Amino acid sequence: MKIPWFYFASPSTFYRLAGALAPWFFALAALLGAAGLYMGLVVAPTDAQQGEVYRIIFIHVPASWMSMFIYFVMACYGGVSLTFNTRLAAMMARALAPTGAMFTFVALWTGSFWGRPTWGTYWVWDARITSELVLLFLYFGFIALANAFEDPRRGDRAGALLALIGLVNLPIIYFSVVWWNTLHQGSSVKLTGSTMQVAMLWGMLLMALSFWMYSIGASLTRVRAIILDRERRTHWVRALAT
Amino acid sequence: MKPHEFYIWMSYGMTAAALVAEIIALRLRRRQSLRRIEEERDLEAQD
Repeated sequence: MKIPWFYFASPSTFYRLAGALAPWFFALAALLGAAGLYMGLVVAPTDAQQGEVYRIIFIHVPASWMSMFIYFVMACYGGVSLTFNTRLAAMMARALAPTGAMFTFVALWTGSFWGRPTWGTYWVWDARITSELVLLFLYFGFIALANAFEDPRRGDRAGALLALIGLVNLPIIYFSVVWWNTLHQGSSVKLTGSTMQVAMLWGMLLMALSFWMYSIGASLTRVRAIILDRERRTHWVRALAT
Repeated sequence: MKPHEFYIWMSYGMTAAALVAEIIALRLRRRQSLRRIEEERDLEAQD
């Protein structure tokens, strides 16, 4: 089956598609989130070393993954918009940024509240934590730069360029615990396997899936508002608002 | 959850607050966009 990409790249078509899909992604996020919280807070056993405080992992790690993944997807959309001059890709990049920033903030916040009882401090200028903070500033920079121009297409191009340059920070975040001697622990989950107990791992994976579905739902909802703003002088948008 | 319940609930509480705040912001953004379209249309109708 051939997918009609150009048909769905039209803002008017995508507006309707996003409106139909977003509620399903939010519903999936709620279901997976409920299952993840049940696994993480009820089923998963107490950690032998950290006690109950380790349960912050069920939101800290998924939020950290999403903060990096959303940035990667945002930069890809930026690259597509720069290369092919597609309006929808630029709008998607803009729609993803606030959700990415929110997850980066949640990752830093939860990390801070996990660090206090385990490391004895809320904050340390550790390579992993500092590079994650740089990611938050990259999101803020992208949002500010994209909105700094009167002509939104110029804002799209400037934002896309910044997003692509900022990609260099992602491997720094990911490999910081390998490249430098950091206070932050190394990865418990790798593509090759995990050292975690099964219920703990499932709780974390379900929460990651929930955040992923939420991110898709939120960005689809936001891109609809961006499309309305950009296309407000077209007949189809005028007809919608009646 | 004791003795670290404060740290756990501050983490889960802030995450819930951030998610709720974003959902409210999304609804407000859409409402704002629709209002802007209506205002522009009304202005054009007056001209």
